[in-house]
Amino acid sequence: MASKDDTRVAILFIVPALFFLTVFNYYPIIQTFIYSVFDLDLTTDWLNSEFIGMENYRRVMMSSQFWYTFSFTLGFTAVVVILDLSIGTALALSTFYVGPVMRGVLRAIIIIPWAIPKVIQASMWKWMLNSDVGPIGDMLVRLGIVQEPPLFLVDQFLAMGSIVLAYSWKGASMAAFFMMGGLALIPNDVIEAAKIDGAKALRRFFYIILPMVLPTLSVATLYRSRDALRVFDVVYGLTGGGPGTKTDTLSSFAYKTYFEYAQFGRGSAYAVVTFILVVIVGVFYIDRIKKNFSFKE
Amino acid sequence: MKKKHRIIRHRILSTLLFVLITFWCLAPLVWIGITSVKPQGTEYKIPVEYWPENPTIENYGVVLGEKFRVQQSIFNSIIVSSTALIGTLILSIFSAYAIARLRFRFRYHSLYFIQIAGMIPPIVVIGPTFVLLRHFGLLRTYWAMILPNMAYAVPLASFLIASYFANIPFDLEDAAKIDGCGSTRIVWNVVLPIAAPGIFSAGVLAFLGCWGEFMLAFTVTLGKKSVETVPVAILNMSQAFQLQWTWVSAGTIISLIPIVVAVLVFQRYVVRGLTNGAVK
Repeated sequence: MASKDDTRVAILFIVPALFFLTVFNYYPIIQTFIYSVFDLDLTTDWLNSEFIGMENYRRVMMSSQFWYTFSFTLGFTAVVVILDLSIGTALALSTFYVGPVMRGVLRAIIIIPWAIPKVIQASMWKWMLNSDVGPIGDMLVRLGIVQEPPLFLVDQFLAMGSIVLAYSWKGASMAAFFMMGGLALIPNDVIEAAKIDGAKALRRFFYIILPMVLPTLSVATLYRSRDALRVFDVVYGLTGGGPGTKTDTLSSFAYKTYFEYAQFGRGSAYAVVTFILVVIVGVFYIDRIKKNFSFKE
Repeated sequence: MKKKHRIIRHRILSTLLFVLITFWCLAPLVWIGITSVKPQGTEYKIPVEYWPENPTIENYGVVLGEKFRVQQSIFNSIIVSSTALIGTLILSIFSAYAIARLRFRFRYHSLYFIQIAGMIPPIVVIGPTFVLLRHFGLLRTYWAMILPNMAYAVPLASFLIASYFANIPFDLEDAAKIDGCGSTRIVWNVVLPIAAPGIFSAGVLAFLGCWGEFMLAFTVTLGKKSVETVPVAILNMSQAFQLQWTWVSAGTIISLIPIVVAVLVFQRYVVRGLTNGAVK
């Protein structure tokens, strides 16, 4: 039962956190919604601007740029989530395969990409993918795969691939740690029993390990897609959305619209669409929080 | 005989995996490291040099010198991230305690209010946040990064801490009460020590989150070098000096040292924080 005493203390304890979240999360998001229904060119003074209802959204929806960016963001998310999870699972499985000494070292190595700030990671890959003196292009030439180093960040599709590569480099490390947690929960005797029954490695993976880590895999999918849908740093640092705006995601295009074109109304419309996409993923996320917080009453 | 074969095969495969993974994870870092010891101007030499003829540490001198002062951005990052970390922990410990251990009417509403905030993408808040900070004259100051980052870190931090608080038996608190402990002492001497690992994980992740944060830091520092954090400084450097990659590389390496060391030292807490709640 809620006693009066608890309520007073609880409110005292919780109000500071709620205040901060209101000021820096909820107020801005409501303000973004408001901006998005005003005609704001080179100004943020919405009180003295014209209310135009859904006009910004209509304009955005009519532009081919929007649908291109929208599909690129979704496609990017699908590809990197698959890559993150498959490379991540492979990394995690490897740490269980090698001996205990190597395992510790390997884990320390796998965590390093995760430690590097995303935008620095982007600039590192930019140098790796340099078309004149980048080692990747050079290797491809030396191996005889291509005649000349490819223009990674100039060609539209190669630029997309470069962003995926740079993004998944770090994403795979994050996924790997999720999967290590999941794999550690599989009882050893289950695997041993399968071995004794003569199940080959591949069969063991698909019939025993995979079904048992499915819950972890689904959570990892949730986390990784939430991150990927709002990707900004890697795009901004690696291609800046180029060539042209061909590798812009919803976030990076909204950012440009805000701070380069100074169109707060239109930028907000883009931001709101990003938010809606993330909310769709978020519904599942909240569902999980509910499950995790089954406190005693 | 068959067993021996298997051991050898295991060993070869292990080594192979080890080399492959090390290559995948460290190749970009190693390449940046190699570039950073090339004499300035030779990084564009064709054919590509995988090891410079005359390795040098001059570039490090340049980025630490008056021209760049990379150490300034590291200092800024430390100030911003540790202040935000302290703020986040204060907000999170109190709110987590209320949610996990106190019974009150808006308990679940508060929980959702906090957790939903954690899903809001940065791009949706950046515009108004910029306007708000400008209004209060906070642009180009540490506070413009510290205050929002406190808010951004609260959802995850309070989630991690609350899950520890929730597992402490209420009997323990009751027993302490019977022994004559006041509420404050119960919290200090009973509850907090038990939740310490959770608090530590939350703190480490809050610090790292703030350290790597880019969009806000880039937007509110507006190119003022004396407040720029590491990610902003390195990005600006790499864009301003596209033809001096030996410098950019040296700057990158120096700026990465503190955070990579921190992550390796606190690895246990990082991993626990990352996977807690995810794998239950």
